[in-house]
Amino acid sequence: MINPVRTLRGMLSGLLLGFAAAAAAEVVVVVSSQNPVEALSRAQLADIYLGRLHRFPNGDPVIPIDQKERSPAHDEFYSEYLGQSPAQVKQHWSKLIFTGRGQPPRSVSDDLAAAETVAGNPNAIGYLDAGLVDDRLRIIAIE
Amino acid sequence: MSSPENPGDGLEAPRTNPAVRHRLSRLLDPPILFSGLTVLFLAVIWTATLNLTAREHEAANRRDAALTVDTANTYEAQVLRALREIDNTLKLVRYRLDQGPATEALDDLRSRELLPPEYLFTVTIVDARRRVVASTHPDTAGDMPVMDYFQLLREDDGMIIGLPRRDPESEEWRLWFSRRIEPAGQQYSGAVAVSVHAGYFVSGYEAEALGERGVLGLVGTDGVFRVRRTGDDVSAGTTTDYDALVPEEAADNETAEVRLNPWDDTRRYTVARKLFDFPLAIVVGLSEAEHHAEVAVIERTYMWRAAGASLLVILVMAVLGRMSWQLHKARNRAMEERVAHAQRVEYLAYHDNLTDLPNRALFSRLLTQGMQQARRYDKRLALLFLDLDRFKAINDSLGHEAGDELLQEVSRRLIASVRESDIVARLGGDEFVILLPEINDGTQAAPVADKILAAVNKPFSLAGQDFRISVSIGVALFPVDGEDEQTLMKHADIAMYHAKEEGKNNFQFYSEELNSDSLERLALESSMRNALENDEFRLFYQSKQDMATGRIIGMEALLRWQHPDLGLIAPMKFIPLAEENGLIVPIGRWVLNTACRQNVAWQEEGFPKLSMAVNLSARQFLDENLLDDVKSALHESGMAPELLELEITESMIMHDMPRTIRLLRELKKMRIRIAIDDFGTGYSSLSTLKEFPLDTIKIDGSFIRDVADSAEDRGLTEAVIAVGKSLSLTVVAEGVESLQQADFLRAHSCDQFQGFYINKPMAAEEFASSVREQLRDKV
Repeated sequence: MINPVRTLRGMLSGLLLGFAAAAAAEVVVVVSSQNPVEALSRAQLADIYLGRLHRFPNGDPVIPIDQKERSPAHDEFYSEYLGQSPAQVKQHWSKLIFTGRGQPPRSVSDDLAAAETVAGNPNAIGYLDAGLVDDRLRIIAIE
Repeated sequence: MSSPENPGDGLEAPRTNPAVRHRLSRLLDPPILFSGLTVLFLAVIWTATLNLTAREHEAANRRDAALTVDTANTYEAQVLRALREIDNTLKLVRYRLDQGPATEALDDLRSRELLPPEYLFTVTIVDARRRVVASTHPDTAGDMPVMDYFQLLREDDGMIIGLPRRDPESEEWRLWFSRRIEPAGQQYSGAVAVSVHAGYFVSGYEAEALGERGVLGLVGTDGVFRVRRTGDDVSAGTTTDYDALVPEEAADNETAEVRLNPWDDTRRYTVARKLFDFPLAIVVGLSEAEHHAEVAVIERTYMWRAAGASLLVILVMAVLGRMSWQLHKARNRAMEERVAHAQRVEYLAYHDNLTDLPNRALFSRLLTQGMQQARRYDKRLALLFLDLDRFKAINDSLGHEAGDELLQEVSRRLIASVRESDIVARLGGDEFVILLPEINDGTQAAPVADKILAAVNKPFSLAGQDFRISVSIGVALFPVDGEDEQTLMKHADIAMYHAKEEGKNNFQFYSEELNSDSLERLALESSMRNALENDEFRLFYQSKQDMATGRIIGMEALLRWQHPDLGLIAPMKFIPLAEENGLIVPIGRWVLNTACRQNVAWQEEGFPKLSMAVNLSARQFLDENLLDDVKSALHESGMAPELLELEITESMIMHDMPRTIRLLRELKKMRIRIAIDDFGTGYSSLSTLKEFPLDTIKIDGSFIRDVADSAEDRGLTEAVIAVGKSLSLTVVAEGVESLQQADFLRAHSCDQFQGFYINKPMAAEEFASSVREQLRDKV
């Protein structure tokens, strides 16, 4: 389900990012169409991206794909789905790396690269603009 | 065997014990006991609490120091690892640069994931002129920090740790780590550097361990903090005195001491440790104040608990103390009641419960004390012995309640009549004693006795009647009349009897003669008890003659006592005594029986019908069995009742008139004659006189005695005769001793007379012969 408030907020942030993004980009979470996972909870998604969860609910290993810092999808994803600012995320990983308890997800440079990477790996999970979703990808519901 | 050296031991112990026991029992007094217990409990509670907080404090100190050391150890390991990773990256990049151009090298390494996460780390390659030739961060612009560069030029091989620099874009502090690039056998050709935001090195700051005021930091050996974090506050670039902060060599058993951190003036458990192989030292600190705040909370909790416990103890003790105190009070009250009861019992034992006066026992003690005092100060005492006159008659006629009331009133009057220092006591019955302890000579007792007589003589109002009584008082003086209690009492008693004999209502001082009289009286009294059995009483008879004819018409029986040792005793001497001891009743009965028998005997002998007058005493008249006694006397003797005449005195009939009238009517029914004896000496009113069924009045001899000389007595006698006549009574004159008297009486129509003029009292035989003689004369 798409929450209208969230939609509105997404639109506002799109506006703020620039008039060029007239497509009113909506970031969605995707997996390979070969991946059976249909939905994840918000907490599960956050755990996967903050390095606290390494498997899907069905037991398959999960490989989170991140996007470069300061890319539009990155900031929106973290604020919309994880409710974290880039600084908080950075601080989180900073601590995990420093104390040797984890490594941040691999990051790709843009939505297209993300689409390619996710489509090519059934265990991958990623986020990108909804407009770029094709047959190889499946949007999973975040509850 | 007790040791001879310490013979007192056995005595000493019991002597000290009571004091100790007393002190112990004082300790058990509720106020002291419970206050003491409260203080004790409070002391225990607070000692324990203070001890506990002190221990808590100490434990917290140790814990904080240990925690600081632990944190420092962890932090040291983490920093070392991070630094080595960075150094390895530098070495790896430098190595790869040997095989190709810089950009290619970086891309290759990145694609093989050999570079640290770009998220945090930026790898940059500069040429010999400090220009960036390649970087993992596309936006990295400008040159390498100049300071680092110069340092690089100096250092031959090794990682340069630059001073923290603020990123102009993100405003965050960054640290630069660099190594010079020296391709094999070539000169310096540039450098490879890794920059990371400074916060990375303090991201392990755990608020749970370090709190909000702890410190985590890296300080260079140059004294410049590369980064320092307190709470969420990250800073860099400040300087401090490195030598003062970091010890030269780390001790094995390093402990965290509380030190003042100069950069923010905060006292902390601080550990500063030089890192192996790097020109850096770690600084770890735990705020003392912050950690003490936790302990303070615990301490405060203990204090509150202690305060609560104290309050509870005080409350419980207060309640217990109060209960105990009440118990104590109740016990005391019970004790007081017991004492009061004992006092009451003692009071009752020593006081007469009717009058509240001291009783005989107490008086005896007071008298003994008084005598001791008098002896010591050479003073005199007067002992007054009082006996109410006619009290028995009053008690018998008005009842005991009235008698008791009278005694109470008398005691009040007695107390009112003497001084406060004088002692009034009741010995029992109607006997009182008064002790005058402060007199100098015997005559001082006389006014007191007078005062008492006057006080008792005032009329009483009892049972609705006004009447008077009197008292007889005997006075004995200490020491002249007796030097001990018994003698003094006895002599006062004797003097009192003398006062009775002197006509009552007076007082008498004791004297030696009285004592002998009294001895005689005592002898009489004791022998009187046997006199009836021993048949010592005799009846004498005095004739009564008709005034006109001079004929004997009757006789009066008079009692005499033929005492075996004392001879014939006049009635005056023993009848009062018999009245007092009650023997008068059986004696009176004997008189009645004897008189009746005698009369019958004479009748049988052929005497004319002579009347027989018998005197009744007051006691006899009040005796309940009087009628029966009279009846049985008449019945046993067979005497004609109309010949019997009972003589009673005025005072006897005036007392309890209804009863007297009833009694006299009964006697009249039996046809017995009633005579009033000694008429004129009492104070019977004429109006009441006529209420009584009388037959005869006898004019007292005292009027007759002076009838020849005293016009007054003549007048009285005439009046009495007239009264008798007007009431149709027979008038008899007593004590007629001369012809003149007889003539006077005859002239005034007196009916009969008796007296020495004609006939003195005679024994039965003598009387019989005189009658016979007269009868012969007549014939």
